[in-house]
Amino acid sequence: MGQLRRDPIVGRWVIVNTEDPKGPNEFESAKHEYTQKQNCPFCFGHENLTPPEIDAIRDSGAPNTPGWRVRVVPNKFPALKIEGELNPEGIGIYDMLNGIGAHEVIIESPEHEASLADLKVGQIRDVIDMSCRRAVALTGDKRFKFILLFKNFGVDAGASLEHGHGQLIALPMIPKNVYEELTGAFRYFEFHERCIFCDIIRQEKQEKLRIVCENDAFIAFCPFASRFPFQVWIIGRQHSPYFCHMSEQQKDKLSQILKEVLSRMKTVLHDPSYNFIFHSSPIGIREAESFHWYVEIMPKLTRVAGFEWGSGFYIIPTPPEDAAKYLRETTLTNT
Amino acid sequence: MPQLRKDPIIGRWVIIATERARRPDDFKQAKVANNNEEPTCPFCPGNEKFTPPEIFSYRSMNSTPNSPDWQLRVVSSIAPVLRIEGELDRHGQGIYDVMSGIGAHEIIIESPRHIGNIADLSLEEISRTISCYIERITDLEGDPRFKYVLIFKNYGWQAGGGKLKHSRSQLIATPVTPKRIKEKLVGSHRYYEYHERCIFCDMIKQELETKDRVIAEIDGFVALAPFASRFPFEAVIYPKKHSSDFTKMSMQQRNDLAKTMKVLLSKLKVCLNDPPYNYLIHTAPFRRPKPGYWKTIDEDFHWHIEVTPRLTKVAGFEWGTGFYICTVQPEDAAKFLRETNIEL
Repeated sequence: MGQLRRDPIVGRWVIVNTEDPKGPNEFESAKHEYTQKQNCPFCFGHENLTPPEIDAIRDSGAPNTPGWRVRVVPNKFPALKIEGELNPEGIGIYDMLNGIGAHEVIIESPEHEASLADLKVGQIRDVIDMSCRRAVALTGDKRFKFILLFKNFGVDAGASLEHGHGQLIALPMIPKNVYEELTGAFRYFEFHERCIFCDIIRQEKQEKLRIVCENDAFIAFCPFASRFPFQVWIIGRQHSPYFCHMSEQQKDKLSQILKEVLSRMKTVLHDPSYNFIFHSSPIGIREAESFHWYVEIMPKLTRVAGFEWGSGFYIIPTPPEDAAKYLRETTLTNT
Repeated sequence: MPQLRKDPIIGRWVIIATERARRPDDFKQAKVANNNEEPTCPFCPGNEKFTPPEIFSYRSMNSTPNSPDWQLRVVSSIAPVLRIEGELDRHGQGIYDVMSGIGAHEIIIESPRHIGNIADLSLEEISRTISCYIERITDLEGDPRFKYVLIFKNYGWQAGGGKLKHSRSQLIATPVTPKRIKEKLVGSHRYYEYHERCIFCDMIKQELETKDRVIAEIDGFVALAPFASRFPFEAVIYPKKHSSDFTKMSMQQRNDLAKTMKVLLSKLKVCLNDPPYNYLIHTAPFRRPKPGYWKTIDEDFHWHIEVTPRLTKVAGFEWGTGFYICTVQPEDAAKFLRETNIEL
């Protein structure tokens, strides 16, 4: 018999196939083929193909020339525009807001075909360092309420450019899922006077069933009520609402564990497409203290169809306990 | 300037990316070459033995169950996500909640004809399918373990339709009211408490006045492109007359709905070159009287069908925030669809 499990934070139910679990080789995934190298706007020497850079970590060179290690540029086709004042408006029954926000692209390395898992820990650290720097800068803009750092890797995960990049979006309102998660965490915090995420970490460490790997500062595990098979959370041992306030030591440790988790996924699931998202508290609200930031990594192995869209239920063909075991037990070749 | 729009019922914001505005042709997808030969279709007449035994059918008077000579057939899913047998067991596991996976998962084979898209079935066949939805929901309401029945369709590979072509819908009965339904119930209840009016009725009224987002208006039904569409060419079908419950439709209404569905789905097919799509029915959950139970559902909720062509991929941003970027303005989508000519 399958099992229904409830996410303790947002209350979402998922159906876990504990009866006939799928193994990692039973998913179909498209091979990554690199075909866009010719005119890739993110490669060395093509800096003029992007809007002017906002920030960069450089070994040499002037802005908008080669010599950088990580480069941040505005998205050429931004979902939101940075200029202007917020102007809320009602149209009969409907609410509207003009599309003010920031949409930046973080180019992870000059190497066209290097996926994040293949970068050196030091390079990943540059990416994390830069992501924090940009998030701190955008936090200073009073118009923004929420900053989202995320990555789409591979066509199935919605990436339109193949050269490794992350994205940063600053929004003038709090998105629905974020609000639900925050509300769930706050409710628990008010009642128990403890952080629900800290309690989850405690239980995961006791049960040891879903842990993928850990280091001094972070723990990676497959959540009890994952939405997707082989989904992994990386969460800090220390309670903190905002990722961008990470210490230097935490940045080192996050780079290490992020590389490890992505490499394990790459090996076990044959280089899948994936999304990752940094869940972080919205800015300047009283509930912030009850939130605990984390990274959610979602390999794209299944298709979301009518049932998921219509119900908000998700069907998980591989129980998180099995997924964690596959990921934990795989042997990584040293890179 | 892009726009942020808020769904009036559940409060979800979306970005309408006007600067990236795209036309229907931009979404026309290369058909995936299917080199695999189509397997023997278990849903065609004569192959009844390849499915689990039928639960329900419309068939000729003299024929026996699980033999040919049927017009519509309902069978259990061969790979059910929930199981019908067993007791409902709920327990805690530390901080987590667990429930046994009890439910029903049925496949509704809409026609004996080996046709893929329900848009290409006859009005009579579509109307019969609607009647079957009603029969099955009503039957499952008798099982006290279930709170909701979701009827949905996955058409085409990108929409989760699998490798078999034969047109069918699915039904899943769940022991809890699904989150997406609950959000809508809560949102419409909140509006009702203050206004003492149905938010859907108010919305339909506004849409019929402005007409910008109306795709088709047929007898008692209207197909709209929602103001805060999540996806390009998303559409919703509403009955114009208030009703919380899909199963309470008269025969005439079933025929009118069949026509509305056929018109909308045919327009999508022509305008977007036979895109993959999902549709799903949102109706009121089972209302079994119990103390303190929410009494105004019949007044505050209004059933509808969401239809979504799968033209874009949902990526990290959407999964992370529940916030969608829609690259076609709903007003443009409605116009394209309104102006698409179809033959019925």
